[in-house]
Amino acid sequence: MKSFRRLAYALLAFTLVMVVVFAARAPRAEATAVVAADPVALLKSASPAEAPPPPPKQDTCQHCHLAGEITALFYPFGRWMVFAVFGAVFAYGGWRLTSNWTTRAPWKPLILRAVDWTEERFHLKEPLGKVLSKPVPMFATAWYYCLGGISFALFAILGITGIMLAFYYQPTPEGAYASIQYIENQVLFGSAIRAIHHWSANGMVVLVVAHMLRVFITGAFKAPRELNWMSGVFLLVLTLAFGLTGYLLPWDQTAFWASTVATEIAGAEPGIGNLALVFLRGGWEVTAVTLSRFFALHVLVLPAVIVLFLVAHFLMIRRQGIARPL
Amino acid sequence: MTETTDKDKTIPFFPTHITTEAWVTVGLMAIVLAVGVLGSFWPIGLEEPADPMNTPLHVKAHWYFVFLQEMLKYVPKNIGVVLPILGIIAVLLWPFIDRRTDSKRGRLFRILLSAVVMAGIAVLTWMGMRA
Repeated sequence: MKSFRRLAYALLAFTLVMVVVFAARAPRAEATAVVAADPVALLKSASPAEAPPPPPKQDTCQHCHLAGEITALFYPFGRWMVFAVFGAVFAYGGWRLTSNWTTRAPWKPLILRAVDWTEERFHLKEPLGKVLSKPVPMFATAWYYCLGGISFALFAILGITGIMLAFYYQPTPEGAYASIQYIENQVLFGSAIRAIHHWSANGMVVLVVAHMLRVFITGAFKAPRELNWMSGVFLLVLTLAFGLTGYLLPWDQTAFWASTVATEIAGAEPGIGNLALVFLRGGWEVTAVTLSRFFALHVLVLPAVIVLFLVAHFLMIRRQGIARPL
Repeated sequence: MTETTDKDKTIPFFPTHITTEAWVTVGLMAIVLAVGVLGSFWPIGLEEPADPMNTPLHVKAHWYFVFLQEMLKYVPKNIGVVLPILGIIAVLLWPFIDRRTDSKRGRLFRILLSAVVMAGIAVLTWMGMRA
């Protein structure tokens, strides 16, 4: 107790000394120096006729209006109420902390508490454990078994970057070209996102074909996995359809004429040719209608369909296991 | 075929295999990031705006359709446009065509077949891109 009192006196003495020192230091010495060195002030005192021009007109300070200049009657009161509520919460917490310390449940990391909280509500431990504990055969760790998974990862990247591009893209002949120019030149990281979308799309085609060749060569398509092979072929066709519809969207010369050629090939099919042509182009020529329906196919129809096939593909892999090669 | 080899050993999916997959994903993300950085300096860019009145000299499809376009030059048109559809249907129904139990000979045949098909597609693409 004695030592505590001594400490308190020492603190008080130190504070007093500091106050005295602070009050006794040379007042405003720097302030006068600054005023003397101010070029504007010097200029004013030297020749009042050549006063500096008035500052340029500035924008209204919106921030000031939002935060600082409110003088309504109830704002100070509201501020005090907020402080009071925080204070009450703090006081309650302190009281609870000190009074209930010994009776509460033993300490547990927050992450484990969150796990328990989720488990109590959704009972996920058992099914999730079942999924995660599935053994992986050693042959499936060869490098060429990753091609399908990387294709899916690229699909996810394409989805994300595609959404980013769709924020700025306009599916009209006038808007498309200008909006891609805007993405390339003005949008922050726009050209990076477009490059990732472009190269991931090309890479996905390559990887999907490589994955198909792997499955074909290792004979993984054989019974009982015929339907999984078929869903995979549909996924390949859908990937190509993504490429076909996406290629027109920049609406430049290459895109326009490549799509014209591609739809011409579809239009040359015997029997269904004209129907296919008119369905794809929305008329006999490649026009604004073609652009909007390619856009709709690219961002609405094909993603929905491909996700259905992907789910089927993955569920069948899970159910049937990975085929054992020779 | 049923002898136990190293191939039949298993590793746990969690955490062993999923760690490998995570590393593959990290590598992929690094490549994607590199593409993004390179794309900032060398953007994809745009050609002239589309002009339906002005046909360019060499109209080319997107590179993975170039082999179809090139094939149409050598095959009569009404056969050439049906071939890809027939090809897709054949590929689609392949498990029902090739129903035998797998053998070394069968695998060799499949390797040769895919090599021939891919080489054909590569040659056609190369010829189409050269034009």
